[in-house]
Amino acid sequence: MLMCRDLAEIASDYIDGELNRRQSLTVKMHLMMCKDCRTFIGNLRASSNLLSVHSASRPDEQFLRQIDERVAEALNNRGTKGSEPD
Amino acid sequence: MDTAARPEADTSLIDDLKRGDPGAYRQAVREYSPGMLAVARFYLDHSSAEEVVQDCWVTVIDAIQKFEGRSGLKTWLHRIVANRCKNKLRSSKREVAMDFSESLEPELANRFNATGRWDLPPKLQFHDSADTLMENGALSDCLDKHLSALPETQRSALMLYEAHQHKSDDVCNILDVSASNLRVLLHRARQKIFLMVETFQETGEC
Ligand SMILES: [Zn+2]
Repeated sequence: MLMCRDLAEIASDYIDGELNRRQSLTVKMHLMMCKDCRTFIGNLRASSNLLSVHSASRPDEQFLRQIDERVAEALNNRGTKGSEPD
Repeated sequence: MDTAARPEADTSLIDDLKRGDPGAYRQAVREYSPGMLAVARFYLDHSSAEEVVQDCWVTVIDAIQKFEGRSGLKTWLHRIVANRCKNKLRSSKREVAMDFSESLEPELANRFNATGRWDLPPKLQFHDSADTLMENGALSDCLDKHLSALPETQRSALMLYEAHQHKSDDVCNILDVSASNLRVLLHRARQKIFLMVETFQETGEC
């Protein structure tokens, strides 16, 4: 029988759909009967979503232009192989 | 729109990059640098991370010729960045060993009784939407603090998987961890975030 602790151990696998059908069904059965685990799974899922929203800061345009310049320079040094120069 | 998630959209870009088309490079730099910078930031401070990303783009010009497209372009680029960062760190920093046999954080494991039932169940339900939670600036700061306190591999796994929406296979590939270890890394890191948000909601403190 799946206890709350067992469920907590595989909670991320359940959220990510990494469990097989039988395991997943066992978790679903437990969740139907156990309010605490429903709250736990919900909160763990919310924590996971939190991170997708909290993504890294965007690089600024100046940094991107620096890359453009270095790439352009390297492309020029290399010459144009098999393509017409623009 | 995330063109990086669509392999067929990548194909013509990859061909253009192989031909050395400057326009293609400008497009790719804009599309992929944010993710590459994020990967580099797992390992390095801001200015070193920017330096590594710049260097990587220069090496891409030659390396792309050998790119066979077995992995997506995004994954390939992230892996180049991760390897470069690891090489840079290898001399200076040692990775802290992690116990992959325990899938529960000790703080959470203590909340069950001997029969495996909740002793201290989660009391509050988090708000439904992550956006609502993140509108709280203090929580956002707290999350930053906790993320930076995570062990490097946990943080990298979490960010690549959650924030940059990589598939498990790709994260294993980039970070060089086994699939089962990745599951433990992700689960342990999520529990820490769960515990952090719970404390924050209960006490209002980080
Ligand atoms: Zn339960």
